[in-house]
Amino acid sequence: METFKLEIITPNGDIFNDDVISVTLPGEEGEFGVLAHHSSVSTLLEAGVVDIEKTDKTIESVLINWGVVHVDEEKAVLLVEGAVAIRGESESDIANALQEAKELIKSIEDSGNAIAAVSAKLDSAAQKLI
Amino acid sequence: MANLKDIQRQIKSVSNTQKTTRAMKLVSTAKLRRAEELAKRSRLYSDKLNQVIAEIAGRLKCHKVGGIDNRCFSEIKNPKIVDIIFVTADKGLCGGFNIQTIKAVKKLLAEYKDKNVKVRLSGIGKKGVEFFKYNETELFDSVIGLSSKPDKKRSDEFIKTSIEDFKNSKIDAVHIIYNGFKNMMTQELHINKILPVDTDSVNCEIIETKSMLEIEAEDDEKMLDSLVSRYVEYNMYYALIDSVAAEHSARMQAMDTATNNAKDMVKSLNIQFNKARQAAITTELIEIISGVESMK
Repeated sequence: METFKLEIITPNGDIFNDDVISVTLPGEEGEFGVLAHHSSVSTLLEAGVVDIEKTDKTIESVLINWGVVHVDEEKAVLLVEGAVAIRGESESDIANALQEAKELIKSIEDSGNAIAAVSAKLDSAAQKLI
Repeated sequence: MANLKDIQRQIKSVSNTQKTTRAMKLVSTAKLRRAEELAKRSRLYSDKLNQVIAEIAGRLKCHKVGGIDNRCFSEIKNPKIVDIIFVTADKGLCGGFNIQTIKAVKKLLAEYKDKNVKVRLSGIGKKGVEFFKYNETELFDSVIGLSSKPDKKRSDEFIKTSIEDFKNSKIDAVHIIYNGFKNMMTQELHINKILPVDTDSVNCEIIETKSMLEIEAEDDEKMLDSLVSRYVEYNMYYALIDSVAAEHSARMQAMDTATNNAKDMVKSLNIQFNKARQAAITTELIEIISGVESMK
């Protein structure tokens, strides 16, 4: 499987920087996936969950509140303002991350259906891990 | 020769000052470590954001993607009103840190005055604001207390008017001037032209060879607007973080020099004191001896 480099950068440093198989992003006009050799694109992202398929085929989810993605042939750079990775060694770690993520959702100003969908998606992502 | 007591008093005073400057140096060292860490983490984000913006600006300039004519990316000839925003510290005792920024602001003000361009000056930080108030230079907006404690929300609010006014064609350029952190020993003055995005350094040939950029056609304007706002907001915030790190490093250095100077002064005062003491003893001895001699 071909891979490409994904970088997720927040104002507090990078939270992800590794080779991945694919990534699904919450674009302003709907979700879209990126595989290796994707054509160049720059677009805005809205609040949502980024699903990353890593080289070992596991999926990692990262919640973001706003972002911009810049994809070219070799790599994808994701600039986000607030992000929480749903991961952890133990159940309690994951629960903590989930709590943090929910707080981030609360801080997003425009509430509505989209937020509910994000919240549901987040729960299911966490469920898979536990 | 000065009185023994006077010298003693002076030595005491100088060593007390030395204690204060040493304590201030230690405080600055501790604060610098934190500020530097924050600046380092943010630098990556800021660099990447600037990179993305520069690339988009370059492509817009060289290809005119989809006929987009965004004000933020186009070169504005003959500007009429420009915004200059400067960041200084709230406190002094940090060497030439504040005055360097103020000098740069004055230079830019003079340059624009020569070109008959009106300048709206806004300032962050007590020292700079006070300086321009004292010199009766009108400030459009000023905020105190933000440069020592950078806060994203307050910085966003501060820069908001400039972004809005630029988009509404009320002003033609936005500059941010601040003294940034380079390393522990040096600060670097930044004079950034933040709006319109600087495209002078863009080399079309390099961009031609790279792949074509695609900006989602329908809401490209919306995307660029939102992206530019974030870009300016973040650059403002980053200027604050960088400035705070630089301020602490400048203060650390200034206080280190002050401590060393105080040390030298105590040393020379001590020599002076010993000399005076010797002289006093000698005089006393002469008095006793001459007294004894006269009794013979």
